[in-house]
Amino acid sequence: MALTNASKVKEDVWIPTCCGQCYCMCGIKVRRQDGVVTEVEGNPDAPTGRGKICVKGLASPHLLYDPYRVNYPLKRTNPEKGIGVDPKFVRISWEEAMDLIVAKMKACQEKDSRGLYFQATTTQASEIRYGVTGFMRAFGTPNYWVSGGGLHCGNGAHFMNGIMHVAWSIIPDFAHCRLPLNFGCSKGHGAGHVAVQNATQAADARAWGSRTITFDPMQSAQASKAHEWVPIRVGTDGAMALGLVNVLLNDLGVWDAEYLKYKTNGPYLVRPSDGRYMRDKETKKPLVWDLVDKRPKVHNDPSVTRVQYEDQAHDVALLGEYEVDGVQCRPGFELLKEHVKKYTPEYVEGITFVPASTIRRIGKQIAENAEIGATVTIETDEGPKKIPKRPIAAHFFRGSQGHVNSGWTCLSIDMINHMVGAADTWGGAMGLGAAVGAGYKPTGKPYQIPYPDNDGLLMCRAWVYDHVPYPLRKPKPPTRLDLHDMFPTSIYNAFTIMNPKWFEMLDVFKIPYRPDIMINFGSNSVMTMGNAEIVTENFLKKFKFIFSFQLYITEFEEAVADIVLPDTCFLERYTPAVSFPSTFSHPTGEDDWGWTIRQPVIEPMYERRDFNVVMMDISKRLGILHKYYKALNDVTVVRYGGAMSDEYKLCEDGSEEHTWEEVVDRMLKDRFGPEHGLEHVRKKGVFTWPKRKEDVYWKWFNPSRVPIYFEYFIDAGEQITEICRQFDPEKKYIGLDWSVFKPLADWYPCPTHTEKNPEFDLHAFYWRAVTQTNSMTQQNPYLDEMSQEDTIVFGIQMHSRTAAGKGIKEGDLVWVENPEGKKIKGWVTLSEGIEPSHLAFAAILGHWGEYMPIAKGKGAFFNDLVMMDEPHTDPLTLNQDICCRVKIYKA
Amino acid sequence: MGSAKLDGQVQSDWRWLIAAYLFLAGVGGGAYLAGVVADLAGGAEWMLVSKIGVFLSVPCVLIGTFFLLADLGTPTHAWRVWMKPGTSWIARGTIIIVIFMILAAVHTAFWIWPFAGPLEVNESARHFLGILGALFAFLTVIYTGLLLGYSQPIALWRTALLPVLFFVSAISTGLMGIMIIAQSMGIAVAQLDLMENIDAVILVFEVFVLAVYVYNAYRTLESRPSAQRILSGPVASYFWLGVVVCGLAIPLILELMGRHGAILTIGALLGLFGGLCLRFTILVGGIYTPMRAAGFEFARIHRPKDPIPAMGKLPPS
Amino acid sequence: MARYGMVIDLNRCYGCYACAMACKVANRTPPGVFWARVLRGEMGVFPNSVRQALPVLCNQCEEPDCMKVCPTGATYKTDDGIVRVDKDKCIGCAYCVIACPYGARYKVDDWKSYFPEGLPLSPYEEHTKQYWEQKSGLGVSTKCDFCIDRRAEGKEPACVQACSAKARVFGDLDDPESEISYLIKTKRGFVLRPEVGTEPKVYYLPPR
Ligand code: SF4
Ligand code: SF4
Ligand code: SF4
Repeated sequence: MALTNASKVKEDVWIPTCCGQCYCMCGIKVRRQDGVVTEVEGNPDAPTGRGKICVKGLASPHLLYDPYRVNYPLKRTNPEKGIGVDPKFVRISWEEAMDLIVAKMKACQEKDSRGLYFQATTTQASEIRYGVTGFMRAFGTPNYWVSGGGLHCGNGAHFMNGIMHVAWSIIPDFAHCRLPLNFGCSKGHGAGHVAVQNATQAADARAWGSRTITFDPMQSAQASKAHEWVPIRVGTDGAMALGLVNVLLNDLGVWDAEYLKYKTNGPYLVRPSDGRYMRDKETKKPLVWDLVDKRPKVHNDPSVTRVQYEDQAHDVALLGEYEVDGVQCRPGFELLKEHVKKYTPEYVEGITFVPASTIRRIGKQIAENAEIGATVTIETDEGPKKIPKRPIAAHFFRGSQGHVNSGWTCLSIDMINHMVGAADTWGGAMGLGAAVGAGYKPTGKPYQIPYPDNDGLLMCRAWVYDHVPYPLRKPKPPTRLDLHDMFPTSIYNAFTIMNPKWFEMLDVFKIPYRPDIMINFGSNSVMTMGNAEIVTENFLKKFKFIFSFQLYITEFEEAVADIVLPDTCFLERYTPAVSFPSTFSHPTGEDDWGWTIRQPVIEPMYERRDFNVVMMDISKRLGILHKYYKALNDVTVVRYGGAMSDEYKLCEDGSEEHTWEEVVDRMLKDRFGPEHGLEHVRKKGVFTWPKRKEDVYWKWFNPSRVPIYFEYFIDAGEQITEICRQFDPEKKYIGLDWSVFKPLADWYPCPTHTEKNPEFDLHAFYWRAVTQTNSMTQQNPYLDEMSQEDTIVFGIQMHSRTAAGKGIKEGDLVWVENPEGKKIKGWVTLSEGIEPSHLAFAAILGHWGEYMPIAKGKGAFFNDLVMMDEPHTDPLTLNQDICCRVKIYKA
Repeated sequence: MGSAKLDGQVQSDWRWLIAAYLFLAGVGGGAYLAGVVADLAGGAEWMLVSKIGVFLSVPCVLIGTFFLLADLGTPTHAWRVWMKPGTSWIARGTIIIVIFMILAAVHTAFWIWPFAGPLEVNESARHFLGILGALFAFLTVIYTGLLLGYSQPIALWRTALLPVLFFVSAISTGLMGIMIIAQSMGIAVAQLDLMENIDAVILVFEVFVLAVYVYNAYRTLESRPSAQRILSGPVASYFWLGVVVCGLAIPLILELMGRHGAILTIGALLGLFGGLCLRFTILVGGIYTPMRAAGFEFARIHRPKDPIPAMGKLPPS
Repeated sequence: MARYGMVIDLNRCYGCYACAMACKVANRTPPGVFWARVLRGEMGVFPNSVRQALPVLCNQCEEPDCMKVCPTGATYKTDDGIVRVDKDKCIGCAYCVIACPYGARYKVDDWKSYFPEGLPLSPYEEHTKQYWEQKSGLGVSTKCDFCIDRRAEGKEPACVQACSAKARVFGDLDDPESEISYLIKTKRGFVLRPEVGTEPKVYYLPPR
């Protein structure tokens, strides 16, 4: 489908490509009539979506043609920066823009290339993990972050899901799960990864009679479809989950012994003195107690190993005390069982506001529905195989994990699954997207089969970003501007860079360089991180030069950008891989594998240029093009399931240049054979091949175990403590409590839960409306209008009774203020669908930018209440706490 | 039960133009009726009053239909309006109105202007024509209520009281129209007094009908949001100031005071204005009944006209 | 001859607005016009409160009030039971808009842009404007026609195609074997406001 001018005559075509309105990236077909994009529809050929897309994708013609799009390079002429400052942008030529940028970057390269900072948005995930990472490596900077989504949702959830499921996220096996337990998320109900396909699966599940329980402070889309809505206090899901685990293990005595013995480190023997594993002297492998031979064995000794369900193995101990090398030691499982005893239903009720009787009842429901011991037979490549059937799944996302207790909360919730063996097997909690696959048979790529390390624990083969969740990096003296090297469990963090004493901190931690240039790719971090003033003053204004690839002049560009480059939107560009690595945006379940590509449906209008192409151009001008190609080749290994073959490798010696189209073509040919290059794949927009059942229900086909006792956290905690002490012995700059690095899960409160001032009597949190993504879609007038169709999107949700008590009425303008004195304004919408001590805000509203008039002034800007400081940071994963205590009063 | 936003979508297709149409059809019909009654019952001394009533009817109704035409989306197709008199009250209504206008026009032409005389001479023909015309005047007035009453989803309108209310208001506003002109033509004070007294009685009756109407609307669950909208919502000022104060209270007080001259004119004009407000209040007071299904109440959310996005700033180009 | 109808399964529907948007894009409807719409309802008192979405569209009634009140005969029923408006006959009196018990009709007097007034129209809006004026018309009553143009191309109605929950099923009510006949029979299908007697052909399945 050549995009030539000749096609201008009476054309009416549907072009298959991939949506980019959010990070789900469903396959779409776009209609072009006489050169104008007029309609968008799902692409039935693409497993991601299977012909369905959401309200946002459907609305995208307005994104393409919005008169407020940036169409030419712009230069800031007002040297002053800050919120509310008129940037006085003027149009410049691309040549001028590139000259300016390249000169600055050259200077940076000469001084210290690490002064370059990349900021991107989750919406552009497929670009970040390829082009962005590639360029960073080529240029030589480790500094980046993905604003908004990354800190609120990423650090805790993705890290823990990576450890437990080699996946970005988890989801019930909707096709068979009888009792999904949802903790503060809307997966399957319009949000989260693979939103559309999950919605189809969840609806099918409702239709066949699956019964859902949802824990959420408000009646979210998911809660309203659940069979039981359990209103819970915000940020306490972890305590709730530990309560349920306690009911299972200690009240009911229910656990899946087979699973725990052979698929977790539950039987690993732990010595009481320091909580470490007992290890084999020679191999250093952890030991388990063989109950048949009555002696310790290394964890993967064939006699105690059961890879497939039908394999035979000796029984091993989960409970009891055993002597090894003269040391009395106990299996990790028993320690866990004892540890959770303190989470009695009554204790948990006090934290969560959920009645103890409800906790007991739900615990029983889990035990009954898990059907421990039951099996099903599935058809694998090696013939029929028996696997466990466990039709319950506890899952979670942003709501439950955006808190001080982020990491442990995620783990505690997932622990429910692992106690009853309901992980990555029929009916249980599955990695989302589909995380495990042997690849397209003829080429063996993309190969994404996880494998065990020396400790027998699960390691991923394919991962989304550079940090893999396990094994942990060893904490090192920092080199990154957010001191990230010291914190092995996080992707990035905010509490360092948002600190008013950031530069002092950099001195103390001996970082020899300072922030210099920021490249922003599509992010509006002024709005998507937290309090706008803190982000701008403490962080963004520290950069000497900021250039931004952007669709609109957002609040970010207004406040701080020096150059704005007119980016193409997703309908005007190529992306080589969107559904891979599959754990980000590929559906789970038995449907086929599909490698979706993005191709332009229209040539870039005006002077818009594709980010990827511009970055290639910049690389060339900087003389690092061959390094950039090499970096792209390198990132392919972990991202896309295997190294590039010599034939299709991008040229690393500088002798050849590739167009971006060629890059896409090479990637495809390398993965799927020479006949399946771009020309072939663009016809359907996707390359598909069958998924093996053993890749869907992979748990009992893989030799790895998952931890339920986090022995290695002890080391990590000690190492972090030590490294911090080296630089900052008095804890003047970093005072986080590293004692949370322990082997067993606990629940720690947020400031929200410990606030003493009775004036601040309400909990505030935010939720995601299905009609909006992050902060960009609010400018789309279709979506703006549709958001107004919902009674709750633009208002502050408040319980009718609470409001009556304060003399607040429907539609009243109010101030909502946090204990730190930050306040936001909005109007109230009353409801019975919210826990009475809570206020709920849809994210991310309340634009004030002059250049996004459709979005301007709609809704309240919740993030202004988010503090991004140490007290609101999870020490374990450095995740951001996004709830707060507030008071409300009439404006 | 739910939040105030669930009070349903407000009827917004028929507003001032239709209100003017309903109002003028009422005044025209009412004046004609009053005129005919004066002719039949009053005899020669009431001839002037009777003539004014008949004379007023055609222009009022005609101007009214212009308002209707102006409200049509495609006025050029207006002639199609009679295609389905079997089921549509608009078709029936326009036929009624046209017949009424023809009759009233004949009545006017051969009695008052430009062929004055024939009907003056032939009294029984005039009476016959008057009675026939009055029938259609009555239908015209009643029809404005039935037209609205046919709307299933707007409970405020679906009541037999509405035609009654419109009828009473039509007579009183018709009379007021007559009084203004009659006074300026120097009619006898006694006659004016009598008309004022009659109108006052009608006004009292109208107050009563209106009270029952609104009370009923409030009592009925389906129309309660409408009643609230009228009594205390965004339409309240039209209702209380326009209908109650201007349209009923002031004219009634002034009429009872029995003053003439400018005061009478002002009172009657305010009364007429009140009649217009009454139609408008009832039109825009209409709220589509929320949908009830499966135990839930669903409303088409009423979206107050969104602030039209300001132009903002366009990126430099 | 077929008698087309639709089933909307409220148990499947999770209120995502995709149907409303798909209709908007497929039919190029201007601001404020929702041939397909999603209403919101709430029932009960905390903690036993429930929210539910109700997708609505024209019911293609067998005895449509809109057709009854139409003075011109512009509103008519096709052989397969779809209620349509002949824009060349419609005078735009809006009586049908007011009379439809389901709020399914919209009269648009002036085409308005989705962007602030005074800006030149984008190519997409040029297109939608032209499309709307040609197909639906200005100053006349407009409504859902079960996506007559799409069906002519052999496609399902846009709202049905878009629904990721597969809550919407389109089909022939006269065919006892059709999926929708089966669903209505076996899953307690009901219509909205049966008491007004318009005999809707859009059926709903209960929320749980
Ligand atoms: S698209 Fe389907 S699930 Fe979404 S609101 Fe419409 S009917 Fe409901
Ligand atoms: S739903 Fe309304 S517009 Fe549709 S056929 Fe029935 S009465 Fe007419
Ligand atoms: S059938 Fe077509 S026109 Fe009717 S509501 Fe659905 S998408 Fe809109």
